[in-house]
This record gives sequence, structure tokens and C-alpha cells, in this order.
Amino acid sequence: VIEEEDLEDPLWELEMALLQSDVEMQVAEEILDTIRGKLIGETRKQVQSTGQLVSEALHDALYEVISVGQFDFDQRIAEADKPVTLIFTGINGVGKTTTIAKLARYFEKQGYSTVLANGDTYRAGANEQIREHADALDKKLIAHEQGGDPAAVIYDAVEYAEAHDIDIVLGDTAGRLHTSNDLMAQLEKIDRVVGPDLTIFVDEAVAGQDAVERARQFNDAAAIDGAILTKADADSNGGAAISIAYVTGKPILFLGVGQGYDHIERFDPEAMVERLLGDEE
Amino acid sequence: MVLDNLGSSLRGSLDKLRGKSRLDEDDVQEIVKEIQRSLLSADVDVSLVMDLSDSIKTRALEEEPPGGTSARDHVLKIVYEELVGLIGESTEIPLESQTIMLAGLQGSGKTTTSAKMAWWFSKKGLRPAVIQTDTFRPGAYDQAKQMCERAEVDFYGDPDCDDPVQIARDGLEATADAEVHIVDTAGRHALEDDLIDEIEEIESVVQPDLNMLVLDAAIGQGAKEQAQQFDESIGIGGVVITKLDGTAKGGGALTAVNETDSSIGFLGMGETVQDIERFEPNGFISRLLGM
Ligand SMILES: Nc1nc2c(ncn2[C@@H]2O[C@H](COP(=O)(O)OP(=O)(O)OP(=O)(O)O)[C@@H](O)[C@H]2O)c(=O)[nH]1
Ligand SMILES: Nc1nc2c(ncn2[C@@H]2O[C@H](COP(=O)(O)OP(=O)(O)OP(=O)(O)O)[C@@H](O)[C@H]2O)c(=O)[nH]1
Ligand SMILES: [K+]
Ligand SMILES: [Mg+2]
Ligand SMILES: [Mg+2]
Repeated sequence: VIEEEDLEDPLWELEMALLQSDVEMQVAEEILDTIRGKLIGETRKQVQSTGQLVSEALHDALYEVISVGQFDFDQRIAEADKPVTLIFTGINGVGKTTTIAKLARYFEKQGYSTVLANGDTYRAGANEQIREHADALDKKLIAHEQGGDPAAVIYDAVEYAEAHDIDIVLGDTAGRLHTSNDLMAQLEKIDRVVGPDLTIFVDEAVAGQDAVERARQFNDAAAIDGAILTKADADSNGGAAISIAYVTGKPILFLGVGQGYDHIERFDPEAMVERLLGDEE
Repeated sequence: MVLDNLGSSLRGSLDKLRGKSRLDEDDVQEIVKEIQRSLLSADVDVSLVMDLSDSIKTRALEEEPPGGTSARDHVLKIVYEELVGLIGESTEIPLESQTIMLAGLQGSGKTTTSAKMAWWFSKKGLRPAVIQTDTFRPGAYDQAKQMCERAEVDFYGDPDCDDPVQIARDGLEATADAEVHIVDTAGRHALEDDLIDEIEEIESVVQPDLNMLVLDAAIGQGAKEQAQQFDESIGIGGVVITKLDGTAKGGGALTAVNETDSSIGFLGMGETVQDIERFEPNGFISRLLGM
């Protein structure tokens, strides 16, 4: 029978391994509590070591967190009334604009037409950046002058899509930190005025402990339907995936794996668990 | 004292020492655990946290508190000294002619920081110029140009050239009048061999006096590998932490300083060109410990 003290060392090591993989501390502790609760009092088979039991339990617990809410994204898009409006939110520099460009290509391959909307009316060079992507991808871009109302831009794009039979609207937003009350209020307004079909939260795989805090606050401001984790090519940890799925209860949908238009992959929860567990061996 | 306003759990365990003049092993163990928790939640590298907490523990048990010092103040002093020992003072930035190159991960804040630093130098009475060598990111030229207009500083870039090394060379010539040259580079990460080669080439043409690694305050444990790689390729003499106006603690910068044997020079606190501060160790240590 497994006693509490048998678990102390293996669980401590696991906690360090999870932190090493950038799983947020409180999330890691809650996952370990689940494992502790499951294992105490269990009888261990002759052939199993406590370590083995713990690592199986960890695999299951991580899978449960990371596979939360997974839905068939392609089917959701296929079945939705057109135009489908997607809005991308997230903090500064995580890769929102690049992800939109990648998805324009992704949707094109599936036979959908898209229009891009530049809801980033703030940052220097934002219009030029997304314009260059739109030109390279041969997509229509709706953009206003710098300083304009972001909700109005995306709203215009939805109207354009309706008038021109475009399937999908990809609405960009300016990067913002969750500590800026004004900008978070602006995000709420965009969400309210546009009423997107899907709000996609973008964050980066290299993010550490803060991933939980921002996912929570962005989800509060404009409820998210799923997340995309970029820059997975720069990082073998990816614990941010666990943190985000855990606090939002919403699925990770795609991974960004480079700067090219084809550098986007459907998220595979099992592969991510393998990656997380592989690290610590 | 500097560390008086501690995070609540750390304060809780320290408060138990009130009135004590000597520490036993259990007291120290409890405090060390809380310090570990604070540093780990701040994204400091796991093994660095363990090394730090080992030295704190050893010193707290072995060193005799000076007469009249309470056990609590003694521990606080040790924690502070250990952290200051690692972080050190702000990177020395002489107010004279020099060339600084910025490097770092995609989206970490290099372009914004180059305009901010130029603004900072101009306020110090020097004449700066920013050279934008990023030929890859769409809109990079316009972004840097507009930021430099806002900062009212000289700018060089060439949207028609796709060779960053050439732009760097031409840019230094074209801005020869400027006293401080700040060279912005495209984003790249440690595993992109081609791009790492590229920045080594830019560096050999620019011959900067200082290479600074620009790190997002929210970067996780990956900070170590990134810092190692950039230091190996171009040699990192200073770190800039950006996006500190958020809730991230910036512990990755501590890891980077440790890996590159350098120091922190500037902090980014917002999106406008004025949102830059020189690094100051006390405030940063307070943030790391969750105050
Ligand atoms: N390596 C890598 N780089 C990426 C990935 N996705 C985006 N990037 C890069 O990250 C940087 C920032 O990307 P953007 O798309 O501008 O990010 P953003 O979130 O729109 O930024 P703001 O609008 O300024 O908030 C660019 O250099 C991109 O090329 C990815 O999956 N991998
Ligand atoms: N809130 C805040 N945002 C910042 C700060 N520094 C940079 N940013 C924002 O972060 C995003 C990325 O900044 P950039 O300067 O484009 O980053 P970069 O490293 O040049 O990006 P690449 O060239 O694509 O690698 C932009 O939205 C900036 O406005 C900061 O200190 N605080
Ligand atoms: K160095
Ligand atoms: Mg953007
Ligand atoms: Mg840049």
C-alpha cells in the first residue's frame, strides 16, 4: 500500500520537473494534489515501482488538463454560418498578426476565402506589417488610419465579407498587457461590438509563470474559445500549454512552429504530454 | 530596510522569527522554502534557485548574526546580499560615443527598445541614431522609422535591401555624424542556426562596444538556453528586460545575467519611447521576491 511519505520524494521531483517545463506553480501543485489523492492507499503491484505508478498518474493528469475542451476546429468552421468572424487577442509581440497570416493560408488550402482586418490601430508599423502579409497572401485587408477605432475596423470587415461572400474574417487586435485597464476595456468593447464567432487567445510557448495570469485576465475581458501557442520552435518546454488550458478550460488549437506561412500545426494533446514527460527523464 | 515590504507568505515565515536571536535548522528550512517559491514563481532558472537557496541556508546557519541583529534581519540581509551578488549593479553605460547592438527572440521588444534607448541618450545630450537591419519581418522598416520619429532621433534603414550586413555597413556610414549608434536586429532564437550565423556576421561588421540581449519579462525557463547561445555567438554585455509594466517578474533576466556573466542595463515599462528606465537592483529584487 502506498503511504503519503512514499510519495514525498517522487512528487517533489515531479514538481521541479514541471516547473522546469514552465508549468505554473499553482497549476503544478494542483496537478500533484490530484495525483497524491489518487495514489495514497492504492496497492502497488509486485511488478511496479512507486516511481512507475507516479509517472503513469502524471501522464493521465497532464493529459486530462491539456486535452480539455478539444473540439474539431475544421468541422466547427465548416458548419458555422458564413462569414465566420475570428478575433485574435493576446499580449504584445506574442505572434497574433503572424498567426493570422498563417491561418489565411491554412483556410485557403481548405477552399475558404478570407478577409483580414487590422484592429491594431495603435502600434507603429502595424498597418504596414499586416498589409505586407495581405499582399503576399493575396488577401483583402480592411484597415483604418492609425488612432482609429479598432472595433469599427473589424465591423467594417464583417460587412465587407457579407457583401462579397467572403467565408472568414480574421480580426487582429493590438497587443496589450492585462495590467492596462483602458486597453482591456477596449478589448471588451471590440468583443461586444463585433460579437465574434470565435475569440482566439494567442500566447507564446516560451512564456513562463505569467501565462496563467494573462490567460485568466484576457478570458475575463473577452471570453476565449481556444488558444494558439506560438514560437513552439524556440522552446522544448511548452508548459504554458498546461497553464493556459488549466485556467481557461479552453482547448489549445494550434502551435506556431516558425515564422513562415506554413509554420502552423494542429495541436496534439498526446504529443504535448509526451514532450513534457520526455523532458524530465 | 530594503526587503521590509515582503510578499505575504515570505513575511509570514519571517514573522515567526520575531524576537528570536538564533535560528534553528527548521526555521531556516521554512524560510528557504518560501524564498525558493518566490524565485521559482518569478521564472528564475530552477537549478539557479537551488544553488542560491543552498548558499542562503548555509550562511544563515553558519554565520553569527552581528550583535544586536535579530534573526529575522540577519536572514533578510543574507538573502539580499546573495541576490545583489548575482544581479550586480546596472550595466555601465558611459555617456560618450559608442555602438550598441540589440539581439533577442522574436517579439521580445528590440525595435521598441532601440527607439527608447535612442531617446534616452538624446535626453542625456548625446546624438543617437538607430540602424534597422531587420529585413525579414514585414513592416519592420516602417515600425522602426515611426518609433524614431516619435523619439525625434536619426534613423537609417533600407526597405529595398535584403542583406542585413550591407544595411549595417551602409547605416554606420550614413549616420557617421551620430555619437551613439544603436543597431536593431531581426528576431531569432537559439535553435535557428542560419539566423545565428547571420547575427555573427552583422556583429563582425558593426563591431559594437556592447551587445545587449532584449528579454521579455515573462520568458520562462528557456531564458537560459537563449542567453547561452547569444553569449556564445556575439558575447552579451548587458540585458534589457521589457514589458515590466505587466505582472511578470522578470526572473529570466537573472538567469541570463548569470549565464552571460553580465548585468541588466535598462527596463522597458510600456509601449511609448519614454517608457524606459535604467535598471536599479533594489526594486528588481523586491519584484523577484513578490513584494
Ligand atoms: N520563431 C517563431 N517566431 C514567430 C512565430 N510566430 C510569430 N513569430 C515572430 O514573432 C514576432 C512577433 O510577431 P507578431 O505577429 O508581430 O506578434 P503580435 O502579437 O502581432 O505583436 P503586436 O501586434 O506587436 O502585439 C515576429 O518576428 C514574428 O515573425 C513562431 O511560431 N515561431
Ligand atoms: N507594454 C509593453 N509593450 C512593449 C514593451 N516593449 C515592447 N513592447 C511591445 O511588444 C511588441 C513587440 O515589440 P517589438 O519592438 O516589435 O519587438 P521586436 O523584438 O523588435 O520583435 P521582432 O523584430 O519581430 O523580433 C510591440 O507590441 C511593442 O509595442 C514594454 O516595455 N511594455
Ligand atoms: K558575456
Ligand atoms: Mg500584431
Ligand atoms: Mg523588431
